[in-house]
Amino acid sequence: MKKIFNISFGLLLLMTPLASHAALEIVTTTQDLAAIVKSVGGEQVQVQSLTPGTRDPHFAAAKPSMIHKVFRADLLLVIGADMEIGWLPPLLQSARNAQVQPGNPGYLDLSSVVPLLDKISGPVSRAMGDVHAKGNPHYWLDPRNGVRMAHAIASRLSELDPSHKDDYQRRFNTFAQTMDNKLPAWHAELAQLKGKPVIAYHKSFIYLADAFDFRIVDEVEPKPGIAPSAATLSTLVARIKAEHIGLLIMEPYYERRSARYLNEQTGIRVAVLPQSVGAQPDINSYFDLFDAIVAALNNTGGK
Amino acid sequence: MDYSYFRMKRVAAVIGVLLLNPAVACAEEDTNALRRQLTEIRQQMQQMQQNYAQQINALEQRLVGLESKPDKSATTVVSPPIASPSTATASNSGFQIGLSGLIAGGGSSVDNDALEGLQGGAHDPNQNGFTVQNVELSIGGTVGPYFDAEAHIIFQIDAEGETVVELEEAFFTTRSLPWGLQVKGGQYFTEFGRQNPQHPHTWAFVDQPVVLSRFFGGDGLRSQGVRASWLMPTDWYSELYFGIQNPKGETVTSFLNAPGEVIGGHTLIDRDARDFGDLLYTARWLNGFDLSDTISMNLGVSGLWGPNASGTTTDTNIYGADLYLKWQPVYSQRGFPFVSWHSEILKRRYEAGDPGDPSRETLKDWGLFTQAQWGFKPGWVAGLRAEYASADGNTSTDPLRDTRKRLSPNLTWYPSEYSKVRLQYNRDWTEHLPGKTADSLWLQFEFNLGSHAAHVF
Repeated sequence: MKKIFNISFGLLLLMTPLASHAALEIVTTTQDLAAIVKSVGGEQVQVQSLTPGTRDPHFAAAKPSMIHKVFRADLLLVIGADMEIGWLPPLLQSARNAQVQPGNPGYLDLSSVVPLLDKISGPVSRAMGDVHAKGNPHYWLDPRNGVRMAHAIASRLSELDPSHKDDYQRRFNTFAQTMDNKLPAWHAELAQLKGKPVIAYHKSFIYLADAFDFRIVDEVEPKPGIAPSAATLSTLVARIKAEHIGLLIMEPYYERRSARYLNEQTGIRVAVLPQSVGAQPDINSYFDLFDAIVAALNNTGGK
Repeated sequence: MDYSYFRMKRVAAVIGVLLLNPAVACAEEDTNALRRQLTEIRQQMQQMQQNYAQQINALEQRLVGLESKPDKSATTVVSPPIASPSTATASNSGFQIGLSGLIAGGGSSVDNDALEGLQGGAHDPNQNGFTVQNVELSIGGTVGPYFDAEAHIIFQIDAEGETVVELEEAFFTTRSLPWGLQVKGGQYFTEFGRQNPQHPHTWAFVDQPVVLSRFFGGDGLRSQGVRASWLMPTDWYSELYFGIQNPKGETVTSFLNAPGEVIGGHTLIDRDARDFGDLLYTARWLNGFDLSDTISMNLGVSGLWGPNASGTTTDTNIYGADLYLKWQPVYSQRGFPFVSWHSEILKRRYEAGDPGDPSRETLKDWGLFTQAQWGFKPGWVAGLRAEYASADGNTSTDPLRDTRKRLSPNLTWYPSEYSKVRLQYNRDWTEHLPGKTADSLWLQFEFNLGSHAAHVF
């Protein structure tokens, strides 16, 4: 009996470091969210992203290491709008952390604080491809949404950790101020794109187009998530030539062959845009991300 | 419900419309106006923090004002209209329902009777021609703050053309026990190894491994019971599972399975569990590591202890170890490319016959399978599986205990996330068949309807 007591006491001791940890343990589904949390939470938080910015967050799988992270989290931040639907529900069940279940203070779905584009009001069919009925989930690519997300995150951090409320508020102000300074410069650099027709590989840049006033007139994928066929590509070649479309934008993780073909056939410039923080080694903050996107959009020599 | 959350959403809605209407309008060239606007918005946000209710009213009034004024500068509005913020993203739609179907067609160099001995899984394609392997209705959701529950009902058409309905799984799991504990109860697949708890539509091959068919029967090891698992406070993922399940029935083959059947020459009797000692005890220890940014690993060991029906006091133990490695490069499109490697080894110790029985012996069986998958381009996966199963003693005429080898290359195409087409070739080496070898070719089709199927790791 005494032995059992000793063992259980030892186990309790093992577990106490979790409870007495000072910083808030925050887990995000993407590195974009993690970057914003770092900006707003500073040294009061420890942040881990479940997926790297180099991969498509829609196609992650619930790895055991993720279960381990979510189990220990005080706050879980998700992109929402069905972005993580393939892996977050089983992950939440395995992680058995009541605090971060939807509806509790430890769960924050950032799609609830931004205006979502491309919501589907009519019937949604899987014959349409990977369509997100709740709206397009790539909203972090509008820098104005970054401010909304940072604000929501600062509010939630203040709720969970009221003693550092002023710190979170101050850092949010700095974040918004930085955006104040950067946004006009980005707009100025992209002035030549304004109103121009652009082709995207996947339907993931509509927020970017909305923020910087260019028009995405077509996608390389005939339907979201469906790879282009030879017929699709030749239709695109005709359209690019007829409408003088000068720019094709795509994420780094998609196949480059189609883009190379379109470039060879029409001379269209291909800009590979980092779609997330962490998509390139030098993109560490949310502002780095747009610096890099603007640079890639402007790079006239790029392919 | 947390009302401040909704209040925040309303605030965000108002900010959203305020921010975007003017932003689109002024983005023409007047960057100063843009800067001014952002400053304004930031100040509004700060004020709102102090007094939500007042601010909402004020902003709503301003919003009405803005909307009624014509937007002078918006001559080149090219962006799509901005929808108001979502109100349904926190997802109360916890109820999920889906149907998945697996249908196979193909043939073998041996006849249907011989195929039955080769393709031991109840969901394996096992006749020349077509097989409806598995049509599975899955229902699941959150019961309340404390429990989740799910049920899987399978429909099949057997070799005689009869429709078979089975309650494959129906169980609850707890959501909020402290200290990393979770309890699951009902009818469920025993968490033994990696493959056994997987449903047929998530398998990497069209049929189940030989050694699992031998030890766990055609339907896999599943029964009624309860299990607790503990996510340990270690620096890596480490989970311990302990469970107790009923030992009787056709889905617990190595234990109190059907009277009259024969195992290793011993005819099984009708034996019931009389006390706690006669139940099936299950244990598993699973560890998970990220070895690098691109490689992840699972390593598990499992054990089973329970009575068997060859006597009134006889027991069976089964032990297993499983290893799973997956590589995915830093840049990957739709989860491709990847390479995964999954191996399991199992050993069974079966006490056959009571003490005093002259034919009393201990049957020792073992087997392994190792399989690799290579997702070489989005939607395309090539696989290769090698298997071996064997047992002590003179077993060469017993299809469930003879020395058996099988090699299975396959190729799978996923037209979308919700369907697949798979072509698989099986080369079998057996002792019990007169020809000693068999060649089979199977084409499998899968469809998924309803709720989004989870991406399994």
